[in-house]
Amino acid sequence: MSEGSELIDPSAGSGARAIATAPRPASLAGKVVALLDNTKEQGDIILETIGAALRSRYGAARVILRRKEHYSKPAPDALIDEMAKEAQVAVAALGG
Amino acid sequence: MAMNETEKAIENFFDKEWSDGLPVVPPTEERLAAMLAATPRDPDESIGDVPPLMAPATVRAIALHAVMAGCMPAYLPVVIGAMECVLEERFNLLLLQATTSAGAPFVLVNGPYAAEIGLHGGVGCFGPGFRANATIGRALRLMMMNLGGGIPGITALSGFGGPWRYTYCVAENEAESPWPSYASAHGFGAGENVVTAIPLEGPVLVWDDASEKPERLVVAIADMMSALGGGNIYRQADMAVVLSPQHAQVFADAGLSRDAVHKLLIERAGRRLGEIRHGGIWRGASGAKRWPFEVDLHDDDAFVPAVGDARDLHLIVAGGSGSPSSLVMHGITVASRAVSRAYST
Repeated sequence: MSEGSELIDPSAGSGARAIATAPRPASLAGKVVALLDNTKEQGDIILETIGAALRSRYGAARVILRRKEHYSKPAPDALIDEMAKEAQVAVAALGG
Repeated sequence: MAMNETEKAIENFFDKEWSDGLPVVPPTEERLAAMLAATPRDPDESIGDVPPLMAPATVRAIALHAVMAGCMPAYLPVVIGAMECVLEERFNLLLLQATTSAGAPFVLVNGPYAAEIGLHGGVGCFGPGFRANATIGRALRLMMMNLGGGIPGITALSGFGGPWRYTYCVAENEAESPWPSYASAHGFGAGENVVTAIPLEGPVLVWDDASEKPERLVVAIADMMSALGGGNIYRQADMAVVLSPQHAQVFADAGLSRDAVHKLLIERAGRRLGEIRHGGIWRGASGAKRWPFEVDLHDDDAFVPAVGDARDLHLIVAGGSGSPSSLVMHGITVASRAVSRAYST
């Protein structure tokens, strides 16, 4: 191959760092669950129903509800950090 | 490079998850060097991280994708400028990557450099036939797919995608426009080179060869702007109206300035509440709560505008003379906003 004609591979996805998933708790008993509302219509109703079930059926101690500013905007890091400080498990509404 | 090696390289890139389905120009060190020579900027300078994968769009990476897209080196300043626009926080590129709708960044270029590089704004400019139009937009998409990881069905969840996702880039037809340019209406100087990125769905044609007066011509355009399936009537966001030079002239011949036409379109684009609440994405009071204006929800005759804020409407002149038509492009949501920037050549 002539000089200068070396092919460059600009692929970004390969060699991506692996992110380990957080360990899953064996049960929800006594846990604090965070619910993230993406603000799509009626998502709050679904999340509240889920939250109530996680308390009554799975023994979650407490449920906290947080809302994004807009469904098409990512949740700010500060919000995620705040949720992570208080809760051990989160349920996030997506899409819709 | 021997022909069979080039063919192998092209085939190799077809196999990449981030291929747009068309052959690329294989990125070699030589081609990269020639591309980078077109900018004084440091190749290691990062313009920003491309969501959602968050790989950095360095000047070097941008140049590589410009090579693959088929850009000439002279196009690189526009590609960099366009990336700077879409990586601004207010553009929120993540929306167009992940959306289940079909929008893409529409790139509009103003200023004298466009003509120097053959970036076309006249007849056929939204379609095939013009290298700069085709490859500048394509470079952007290749970066959205590779650096951003916007892969259809994996992170890019648009049900349809769309042909405007291959490339969506034109120059304004400043030579045949009866008015000062889009860029000058947005505060840029007459000789400045400006690139604007707007989050938009695909273009819909408004054909009207019968209207010779503004009052009549605005009817079909405003109707398309407030189409129930278009979305803007329910969730006011950015919207573009691209008048052909012929349609622009109908307004100008009647003495209307760019500002006057902009105002007229906003006044007329809308529907009676009674027309919109029996279908489409009408969501009753909870949807209307997000509107940037007040409407009496008990009054079926109340006027609901398709444009919520004067800054949402992007009025552009492009396309060929002799075509009595215009284009309307709907927006997506207010979570993604148009960005204009001067770019240096």
